Amino acid sequence: MGEKRKPRFLENRLGIMGNIVPWVLMIRDNPERVAFVLHRLTGLLLIIYLPVHIFVTSMTVNPQKWEDFLRLEENPLAQFFLWILFGSIVFHGLNGIRLLLVEGLGKGIGKPEPPEPPYKPTSLSSAQRKWLYAVFAIWLIVWIVGGIILFREFGWV
Amino acid sequence: MGINANGRPATRVVKIRVRRYDPETGRRWWQEYRVEAKKGTTVLDALLKIKAEQDHTLAMRYSCRMGACGSCGMLINKMPRLACETQLLELGTDTVTIEPLPNFPVLRDLITDFGDFFKKHRDIMPYIVRESKKENEEPYREYYMPPDELNKIIRYSYCIMCGLCYAACPVVAIDKKFLGPQALGQAYRWVTDVRDEGLRLRLEKVDDKHGVWRCHFAGSCSAACPKGVDPAQGIQLLRSKLVALTAGARRDKKPTHVATPTTVRYVDVGDAPKPTVEDKSLLVKHLEETAQELEQDLPYVAQALRDYLRTITSS
Ligand code: SF4
Ligand code: FES
Repeated sequence: MGEKRKPRFLENRLGIMGNIVPWVLMIRDNPERVAFVLHRLTGLLLIIYLPVHIFVTSMTVNPQKWEDFLRLEENPLAQFFLWILFGSIVFHGLNGIRLLLVEGLGKGIGKPEPPEPPYKPTSLSSAQRKWLYAVFAIWLIVWIVGGIILFREFGWV
Repeated sequence: MGINANGRPATRVVKIRVRRYDPETGRRWWQEYRVEAKKGTTVLDALLKIKAEQDHTLAMRYSCRMGACGSCGMLINKMPRLACETQLLELGTDTVTIEPLPNFPVLRDLITDFGDFFKKHRDIMPYIVRESKKENEEPYREYYMPPDELNKIIRYSYCIMCGLCYAACPVVAIDKKFLGPQALGQAYRWVTDVRDEGLRLRLEKVDDKHGVWRCHFAGSCSAACPKGVDPAQGIQLLRSKLVALTAGARRDKKPTHVATPTTVRYVDVGDAPKPTVEDKSLLVKHLEETAQELEQDLPYVAQALRDYLRTITSS
């Protein structure tokens, strides 16, 4: 007779250090999810940057220090970081407006009508989807144009 | 073997990779099977075939096999789907990967534990709540609602509690206490119901940082739902309702045009209609004639008629 072992159940969530599977699902027809992940990542970046930003602004009190800092900023790597930061701000801001409309005011997600085959969810085919594509488009254009202006000084483009 | 429109043979051998788990040893592994699939073979069919013919240790859960019970949710090719409603050939891949639904604890192989999920559903009180306690405990008549009001919630009442939305939700993945799309969608369904008065009670659970405010509209729940329930929409509407409430807007519930047990009066439906054949002897005569006619071709029907005749003539 084999001894009876106590069954252990498997937590199957992302958690802090858990399973990555729930975040990399291949949900069809769901660009909102892409926006969600981007919004979160850019949000994290901005939160981390916020104290740095306050620190940087505090430098302007001392002109000498400020000059030193500006020189540091000419470093291509710092410029690249600024560009990423710029993109994050634009995306987070634009998508934030969309989310305020959708989440706060319940706009752009259609009305709860009776479903009919093939059971397309209304909220994913209503106006917010168009706003989302607009957010992506404006964001990419602004980001790329910003990058061109920024990097032209270095003769990169 | 037939050839289908793509010029491929109508039956095809599909490789199936199953993510297995043994709770006794804690071992987790991928196992491969090969099954012959033809048009219409569902993932559930394939799994049952494997269980019957190749490996009886493979565990999965199912019941209705027709997308009505919500037991067979699985992660099929990285997308939460109902195994009984997903056809192998429609997936269009030569290898099909099958995993247990994420965000649920795995009990064994493809079987997950829905305890938390159901508890969250119970938490939002998925039934009509009336302000009067007496009415709640001793309802004595049904509640009526007009069809246009029903149309506003019917989408949500199609939920079969399959948990696909819950598995697809990236927020549930990082917040164990989050009520999840199914429960919140149902919360919306019940607070919009004109017969319901339980908004305040439900707010205790819903108006919480693990409740409606935790959703960030990734929309995956609606994209995954096999019944077109659209929980994402419900959550946003519920939230905007809360925003409106907090901002001091009046309850947008119109003065109810729903009939409740306290307002509806008993409708007298009258007596049962009079029998169309008034004279019993006429009926008896008719039955006897019919029985005779049927004697030749349908003797057992004739016999049944005679039995029936005996009961009405003896009473
Ligand atoms: S809302 Fe849809 S996906 Fe979620 S449990 Fe109900 S039927 Fe399943
Ligand atoms: S077995 Fe019932 S929904 Fe699939």
